[in-house]
Amino acid sequence: MTSRLDPQPLEWLDRNETYRFTFEGQAYTGFRGDSVTSALLACGQTLLGRSFKYHRPRGALTLANHDVNALMQSADATNIRADVTPLQAGLDLRACNVNGTLVNDRDRFIERLSAFLPVGFYYKTFHKPKRFFPFWERKIREKAGLGSIDTRWTARRQAKSYGFCDLLVIGAGASGMQAALTAADAGLDVVLVDENPRIGGSLDYQLANDADAAPVRERLKTGVEGHANIRVLPSHYAAGWYTDHYVPLSGPTGIIKMRAGAVISATGVMEQPSVFRFNDLPGVMMASGAQRLIARHAIRPGKRAVVLSANGEGYRAALDLLQAGIDVAAVVDLEQGAERGHWASQLAAARIPVIEGHAIYEAQGKGRLERVIVAPFDGHRCNPATAREIPCDLLLMSVGWAPASQLLYQAGARLAYDDTLQQLLPQQLPAGIFACGRLNGAFSLEQRLADGQRAAKDACAHLRGESLQPDLAACRDTRAHSHPWPIIEHPRGKNFIDFDEDLQLKDLVNAAKEGFDNIELIKRFSTIGMGPSQGKHSNMNGIRVLASVIGRSIDETGSTTARPMFHPVPVSDLAGRRFRPERLSALHDRHLGLGAQMMEAGAWLRPEYYGMPDQREPSILREVQAVRTALGLIDVSTLGKIEVMGPDAAKLLDGSYTMRMSTIRTGMTRYALMVDDSGVIVDDGIVGRVAEDRFYVTATTSHSEATYRTLSRHIVEWGLDVRLVNRTGVLAAMNLAGPHARQLLAPLTDIDLAEDAFPYLGMREGQLCGIPVRLIRVGFVGELGYEIHLPVDAAATLWDRLMSAGAEFGIRPFGVEAQRVLRLEKGHIIVGQDTDGLTNPFEAAMAWAVPLKSKPYFVGRPSLALLKARCSRKLIGFRLPKGYSGERPKECHLIIENGEMAGRITSIAYSPSLGQLIGLAMVDLPLAEASLSLSVCVDSGDLIQIEPCALPFYDAEGKRQTADLTEVA
Amino acid sequence: MKLFDCPVIGKRPISEFDYCGEVRRPPLDADETAWADFVFNRNGAPQVLREWWYHRPTGRWYIMERDTLKDEVQRFIDPQEVRYDIPA
Amino acid sequence: MPWRLLKYGLKKTHDEPRFFPAAKPLKSGYDVVIIGGGGHGMACAYYLAKEHGITNVAVLEQGYIGGGNTGRNTTIVRSNYLTPEGVRFYDTSLKLFEDLSDDFDLNIFYSTRGHFTLAHTDSALRTMRWRAEVNKRHGIDSEVVDREFIAREVPYMDLDCAGHSAVQGALYHAPGAVARHDAVAWGYARGAYNRGVEIHQKTRVTEIRTQGDQVVGVQTDRGFISCNRVISMVAGSTPRITEMVGLRTPIEIFPLQACVSEPVKPFMDTIVVSGSLHVYVSQSSRGEMVMGASVDPSVLHSTRSSFDFVEGLTDKMLDLFPFMSRMKVMRQWAGMSDITPDFAPIMGKTPIKGFYLDGGWGTWGFKATPVSGKTMAWTIAHDKTHELIEPFRLSRFADFDLVGEKGAASVGH
Ligand SMILES: Cc1cc2nc3c(=O)[nH]c(=O)nc-3n(C[C@H](O)[C@H](O)[C@H](O)COP(=O)(O)OP(=O)(O)OC[C@H]3O[C@@H](n4cnc5c(N)ncnc54)[C@H](O)[C@@H]3O)c2cc1C
Repeated sequence: MTSRLDPQPLEWLDRNETYRFTFEGQAYTGFRGDSVTSALLACGQTLLGRSFKYHRPRGALTLANHDVNALMQSADATNIRADVTPLQAGLDLRACNVNGTLVNDRDRFIERLSAFLPVGFYYKTFHKPKRFFPFWERKIREKAGLGSIDTRWTARRQAKSYGFCDLLVIGAGASGMQAALTAADAGLDVVLVDENPRIGGSLDYQLANDADAAPVRERLKTGVEGHANIRVLPSHYAAGWYTDHYVPLSGPTGIIKMRAGAVISATGVMEQPSVFRFNDLPGVMMASGAQRLIARHAIRPGKRAVVLSANGEGYRAALDLLQAGIDVAAVVDLEQGAERGHWASQLAAARIPVIEGHAIYEAQGKGRLERVIVAPFDGHRCNPATAREIPCDLLLMSVGWAPASQLLYQAGARLAYDDTLQQLLPQQLPAGIFACGRLNGAFSLEQRLADGQRAAKDACAHLRGESLQPDLAACRDTRAHSHPWPIIEHPRGKNFIDFDEDLQLKDLVNAAKEGFDNIELIKRFSTIGMGPSQGKHSNMNGIRVLASVIGRSIDETGSTTARPMFHPVPVSDLAGRRFRPERLSALHDRHLGLGAQMMEAGAWLRPEYYGMPDQREPSILREVQAVRTALGLIDVSTLGKIEVMGPDAAKLLDGSYTMRMSTIRTGMTRYALMVDDSGVIVDDGIVGRVAEDRFYVTATTSHSEATYRTLSRHIVEWGLDVRLVNRTGVLAAMNLAGPHARQLLAPLTDIDLAEDAFPYLGMREGQLCGIPVRLIRVGFVGELGYEIHLPVDAAATLWDRLMSAGAEFGIRPFGVEAQRVLRLEKGHIIVGQDTDGLTNPFEAAMAWAVPLKSKPYFVGRPSLALLKARCSRKLIGFRLPKGYSGERPKECHLIIENGEMAGRITSIAYSPSLGQLIGLAMVDLPLAEASLSLSVCVDSGDLIQIEPCALPFYDAEGKRQTADLTEVA
Repeated sequence: MKLFDCPVIGKRPISEFDYCGEVRRPPLDADETAWADFVFNRNGAPQVLREWWYHRPTGRWYIMERDTLKDEVQRFIDPQEVRYDIPA
Repeated sequence: MPWRLLKYGLKKTHDEPRFFPAAKPLKSGYDVVIIGGGGHGMACAYYLAKEHGITNVAVLEQGYIGGGNTGRNTTIVRSNYLTPEGVRFYDTSLKLFEDLSDDFDLNIFYSTRGHFTLAHTDSALRTMRWRAEVNKRHGIDSEVVDREFIAREVPYMDLDCAGHSAVQGALYHAPGAVARHDAVAWGYARGAYNRGVEIHQKTRVTEIRTQGDQVVGVQTDRGFISCNRVISMVAGSTPRITEMVGLRTPIEIFPLQACVSEPVKPFMDTIVVSGSLHVYVSQSSRGEMVMGASVDPSVLHSTRSSFDFVEGLTDKMLDLFPFMSRMKVMRQWAGMSDITPDFAPIMGKTPIKGFYLDGGWGTWGFKATPVSGKTMAWTIAHDKTHELIEPFRLSRFADFDLVGEKGAASVGH
């Protein structure tokens, strides 16, 4: 059985290309240009899906991307909207949300329970007794959702692009095309976008057979397509409107993020259903839906039709049916004696009976429409006493429209209900947003064209910077195209107001009566408009019902907020291409070559240790030992490196760091501690003086960007004459540490390394292996050490030279883990590990770094002056007995005193140099100062004793980093 | 996405900027209460605020007067206007 | 089928009582005025009436019940906070939540799901251990779990995160739950209304009048109400209200956004939060994936949505759940979160006599709805700050005595 018509003048089909596909295991064929729905209808398959709650049979409704009861799934996609998804060869589809098969859905029984499931029923039951709720919840979850997903699906990512234009016109119907043309003629760069694969809008389905429309269509289409200033973008929908006219356009090849100077919404209107018993049967559809089927896909949607109408458009649809060879049994007009225009006259000429002042009281049929019950209607109520029955397999609903105003609302527009048109119309539009066409109440073709022109002129004026008082009402119709109450009560219900959510009229009435009589509350309680179509064909009737229950006007009743997305957007397209910037040191390959295990440190990758993962502990120990007894080399290129230059450089650093930097002698460095306004430690590093007006500053890996930013802000707010250069990326750095450091370097450099020529904390510039370097004598790991800063492109060369020259001293590369142990032995903190979001320097046992007496100001000083006397905790060193073999405490285990929390371990490690476990702990005062042994609660819950001890653990006098240790080693 | 029409670099999307809060001047001779007020309290109600915005790609600071209710920049401030001296 | 449903089926009429009163005139004065008809305001009214017999109370709501952050949040309820004061407070709330459906005789769909906070770095893992240790001390079910455990419970998650920032472990909090946010507000509202509290929707407070340092009434867009006990429970509008009484606070407003996918058959039972990726997700009982991220980066008093939010969120989400690329985002929205510097609320009495404050709820205040209502009702009834909320007093800032939740609050919901 085929319902395919002979070729239609504007059809989208390529009848030379036939596609085979399957649906619910059955084979079908269709043409290229079909949607899944149209192909199935062509083959006589009218049952397309099941409803969400009651699993009622459902068919085609709008063919406008709103048919959420015809959702399908395939092996690699779900919630496929059959009404608009282009048919492809080989598709293998099943219906979503059926238990069993579409025809024999085992959940059909739920419909029979509908009387027991009134609106919001789930709030009122299942919770008693409490212990049963998990059971009921499981049952409810089994029934929830629509399509199924397969968690084995792999990630799909669709690249995005950017677009720019003066004017974005959304909707390529008559008014949109006219607006685009007018604006383009005025010289604007215009993008015209439409969600359909072909432009034309309702010209191409509603007016497909209208003789007057043909020349207009021809003029507009050739006009926009040939215009040098217009880019036409079919198959894209505006997903949402975002601040400053940023409108993502979602299409088959991904999202174009369009930035427009101004936007015209010519998005038209969405046809609204009439609410009557069984208005959801397959065979009942929007008049515009049938027109789309006929004009685009050459589908005969039925054999014998009834058209329910409350406007001229219904008569036009009836004419279209006749032209398609469909028998029109009658037009049922909701009103008596209304003027319906020239289409009505044409229909009268065709002798089609018109039954005025009647409504559809009920549709009937088993699984699909077989007849309608027509009854007199007084504008509010039907009188079924004198009902008549009309057999038919198709019922078109043409009772009114709701504006596709989502984007306008998102932009902040105000709409008001117009009693003449019985439609919500834009009342106030934000700057740069314009509206035209049926959305704006322009219904006749002449009005639409004029309105498009008007909107384009307004947009041009706006873009020229002229202030305007747009006359939104200039081209509006003076006749209603929507019925104010297309809603028919029925004692037995099933008059659906929301097809997505299976909501009946009484559900809304009852919700309002229960106190949910605010438009937002009724939405939330009844779930009207919450389904996948987001209320596109339920919100308007919902507002009408609520207004009637509470006895208020439509405007007083209000409408719910329209939020993006306009249609749901694939996650693959929103996510776009994956971009995870990763910074690699210039020595990255060297590390890999040496068998490093890499770890992430912010955006950087750093060697954690060198060796096989199963050799983690011994590898780290070996590295520590190498530094202590021979030589180690660590890549510290990730440190922030900032040059500070200018007459006020010293002043900047004095204000930014706790300690005084203006007194550093040229060629020397000083530890640098940065706190915020509240006195909390945020970063540390060193500051070295290169010249009177020039400093070199390092910052921690993770904070270097922020430190650069902070320093640069201080320059602005303190009005300083300073220049900053962030050299983090162009300079590499490595720290050569160990008793043999000097021995190794001396023959390779022209810098005098003698202790008095280049003392501890000194900084020198010179050549190393012929490479220009800056050497800094640092003490972080507590050995004689030189931090070598040099251009990145020379880093690998130098690394190789040092490694090979160091071989005779037993040099080893060491990683972040060994460095952590080494610095712990020296009692140096790691900001962010030994400190938290509230730690001040006094708590970190660094009062020595806070010269309150000698410095009148630095950022955070006033806070620290207050905090000095009020510390409630302090960082202390602790150790476990040598040879301790019990359960090992871990970082963040808690110190317990009298059963109460009294602190936590912030760092702990086995110290190979001391042969015992050592660590740092943040401990409540006065416990921290009592020097008594403390208890730590370990994983097993046991309390382990730890002994507080003085810091540093290793080389308390600091001899090793300052003295010439050649002999010691 | 919000655009800022900057005096030097033209129209740039907000995503290129770091927001760094209201421009404030520390009350250097404040008592304890006034200092704590400076450190923690903020002008949280909707109003026109002078704010720090850092343009990451160019490493430049902008000071804007922005209406935090309407999300509209009213003007760009010359840094001279917010400068203060710190004791050396 | 529960008998309750039979009742509906067998009756011809739907004679359910109203949840909330129909609009009616304001009285000239009340014993207590609650500004804000969100979950907190309704809970406070409920406990004032139920536990302290104070019923001459008006809740004034500028919009509709639960229309603020209560109706916009992603409903995560948990108690695995970092500080002892936080843990005690939120755990009290969680326990109240567990009995709320019974208490209301209204199903709030309180659903215990288990809550994973993923750690992608060793420092994150350290923070997790810190939280777990503090939690366990307070009898909270909370533990650090390894990759194997996570893989067992959330088998469809890519722990390698597509090769970047792999998951190293997680903090697992079995009692972590979600609930129907609206139902919580409605349940409290109905309970308060049935005990005599007046609820006035579409009533906006425009001014708070004081005499000396004592509150004497509030001006609304529907007239003046005299009253000497006023409490502000307005979350994202808190700075506007505190400004009315000249009170300075650290609260700043940042938009917080969320989105849902189209509904799909439920497959995900747990709640997954990633601090490093700044995203979190759970699946609602309608089948939608409910997803969120951290607050927007700049101050704004607006509930506008941004496209960057969905872009960033979905991008990160695919690292954990690659299959979600074939799903669709259906709707996005935003609320205004009232952020404090230490990620803890501000509650209790204020220097203005008769003016009480409950704000600074940021991204985390839904879970505190019951306990806030209860402790603030107690505070008003006794004119004395309840001991559970003493650490959250406004004066902690003047005292430099902050609550240290910052460490645990990465994407704290
Ligand atoms: C996207 C998002 C996700 C979140 N996720 C979570 C989560 O997972 N878990 C969690 O615990 N928390 C979460 N939160 C935070 C949580 O939603 C809030 O902290 C909480 O709901 C606050 O409740 P409330 O009753 O205090 O405020 P609200 O619900 O915002 O209520 C305040 C009410 O005050 C009214 N009001 C304001 N000014 C006036 C006035 N002048 N006169 C009269 N009425 C006024 C408002 O209209 C509003 O209804 C999230 C928040 C958002 C925005």
